[in-house]
Amino acid sequence: METQSFWEATTPQRPDYPTLEGSLQVDVAIVGGGITGITAAHQLAKAGKRVAVLEARRVGGGTTGWSTGNLYVPVGPYFHHIAKTRSQEVANTVAQARFAALDFIEQHTRKYSIDCHFARRPWYFFTQEEDMASTIEKEAEALQQAGMAAEFVTQVPGLRFDSVQRAVRMDGQARFHPLRYVLGLAKAVTQMGVQIYEHTTVVDLKEEEDHCLLTTTQGTVTCHQLILATHIPIGIHTVQTVAAPYRSYVVAMRLKSGAYPDAYFWHNDKTHHAITTHSTDSMVLDMLMIAGNHHKTGQASHQEYQHYFNELEAYARQHFDVASVEFRWSAQHYRSGDGVPYIGLTHKGSKRTYIATGFYADGLTYGTVAGIQLADTIAGEGSPWLETFDATRGTNLSTVGKFIKENANVAAQYLKDIPAGQVSHFADINPGEGRTIEVESEKLAVYRDEQNQLHVCSAVCTHMKCIVNWNNAEKTWDCPCHGSRFMTDGSVIEGPAILNLERKAIDPKTGHLLESGGKTSGEREINNPIT
Amino acid sequence: MNLIYTAIGFFALAALLGMYLLTFVLRGKETPKAIVFSHGPMAVVGLVLLIIYITKGGPNPWESLVLFVLAALGGLYMVSRDLTGRPIPKALAVGHGLLAVAGFVLLLVFAFGE
Repeated sequence: METQSFWEATTPQRPDYPTLEGSLQVDVAIVGGGITGITAAHQLAKAGKRVAVLEARRVGGGTTGWSTGNLYVPVGPYFHHIAKTRSQEVANTVAQARFAALDFIEQHTRKYSIDCHFARRPWYFFTQEEDMASTIEKEAEALQQAGMAAEFVTQVPGLRFDSVQRAVRMDGQARFHPLRYVLGLAKAVTQMGVQIYEHTTVVDLKEEEDHCLLTTTQGTVTCHQLILATHIPIGIHTVQTVAAPYRSYVVAMRLKSGAYPDAYFWHNDKTHHAITTHSTDSMVLDMLMIAGNHHKTGQASHQEYQHYFNELEAYARQHFDVASVEFRWSAQHYRSGDGVPYIGLTHKGSKRTYIATGFYADGLTYGTVAGIQLADTIAGEGSPWLETFDATRGTNLSTVGKFIKENANVAAQYLKDIPAGQVSHFADINPGEGRTIEVESEKLAVYRDEQNQLHVCSAVCTHMKCIVNWNNAEKTWDCPCHGSRFMTDGSVIEGPAILNLERKAIDPKTGHLLESGGKTSGEREINNPIT
Repeated sequence: MNLIYTAIGFFALAALLGMYLLTFVLRGKETPKAIVFSHGPMAVVGLVLLIIYITKGGPNPWESLVLFVLAALGGLYMVSRDLTGRPIPKALAVGHGLLAVAGFVLLLVFAFGE
């Protein structure tokens, strides 16, 4: 079964925005037209700034349109963990910022009449295992200390789970269709004077003393401030040493009974599963989603990629009357060392370049937080969240272990780049399969499509030169170091890489590399499914 | 002198890997990073051992130390260029190697000479 995002498949119409051609001068340029970029654009336009949004593909077509769709105050790394790695005060600020983000989304959904199925609903966190009960208790306590209305309950309505050991409920969370919301907000910001450009890839960016200069595939943008709202900042940034890329999986299903529970559920046993429901084309719930199975990007085996989807489906069939599996897809997220995102100036010497990353799998809410905070900072209005999310804070004593672990993992990926000679041949690659092979001292990423056509690129990631690995569930090349992902033709899907994998040409008779390979560019190719 | 002999061992291994890397740079190919990240640390261990030896006093191979430090700076610069997608100047790679070889020869003379 092909991977396809439910959000992409259920968005009926999308406006087309032009491609930037020529030069442009604005107050603030925002790279990335997802929830972070469009929210920031909205707030900056409201503050009277001239704003341009540069999106490499389609608005909302990157992380937002392929997200897991979470919209709630709770966070994957847990508030009690944040209280430990930072402080309870920081945990409180994070909770309050996320609560404010939900309100922001609700208000603007109403203000602009965005048809994105927004509705409030409760969140449940429960376990069936006695030894996991303390996690539930600690998290409930941390939420309560942050002023959130978390309360212990004895039952989890809507689910058929026996012997629940401990459960907590928090009302006032929400659901929505993230892609419809972002497209609706994008429409509103264009009416406020924001210029949105699609299919406009930034291939170079520089921060100078008194301005920033962006070079796109067909133009340039000069601006006073720059926001890199690209999930992880594109190019090389120090934050990439503390924000590690992970993938998680989602399966969307229809139920025979049609009894879709209207809530979020976190089932916290030995493995963590997130259960939720959404609607295709109205406010009526008609789709069950199960999410989970996190792993570092580019570091699963071929068998595991399929296994992750199969495990989620098996879990769903065990607990629900599944009629059919409709969609399955995978989403990327970046984990910070202390569980709190990095939002703000990219490094201590920077005066004009802002980033937002490290959202875990909680990015729709954090993207909204980031958009509001960055806009407030740039507009000079100040932000009560500034210190909590400071992107230059690096690591501290309580997170140094994780910092070492993640960076040792990156070093280990580099050490796998051993010159091994030609260990396999083009002929060994089956249709539908991708493999990295070595030819004439060059590592190649080779994919043979179903029509037996070979697609050959350099296997060296254009970000920081790790060797990409094949992801057979999504048919992509994933970098195990910093999470850049590429299509089979080498074009960038997501991650910090700016340039596409270099295309290579081979002599079909001899299997030798030809001198005239393809050029490396940042232009996203037309056959990229995320368009 | 045991420290010097151990340092020579690490420098020799680093030199072998360095020569192998040079073949990639001169052909304009991507350097295999497992070799890059083995070559550098081996040379650093050799350099640290040499510095420890020198801090103990007595006649010292100062010329070797200076040449190795210069080579190390060149190596760091090349790694930073390589990982950030900028080409490694071939002359710099050759110069880095020549500095290291000169330092190595002087170290051998110091250790085994009259």
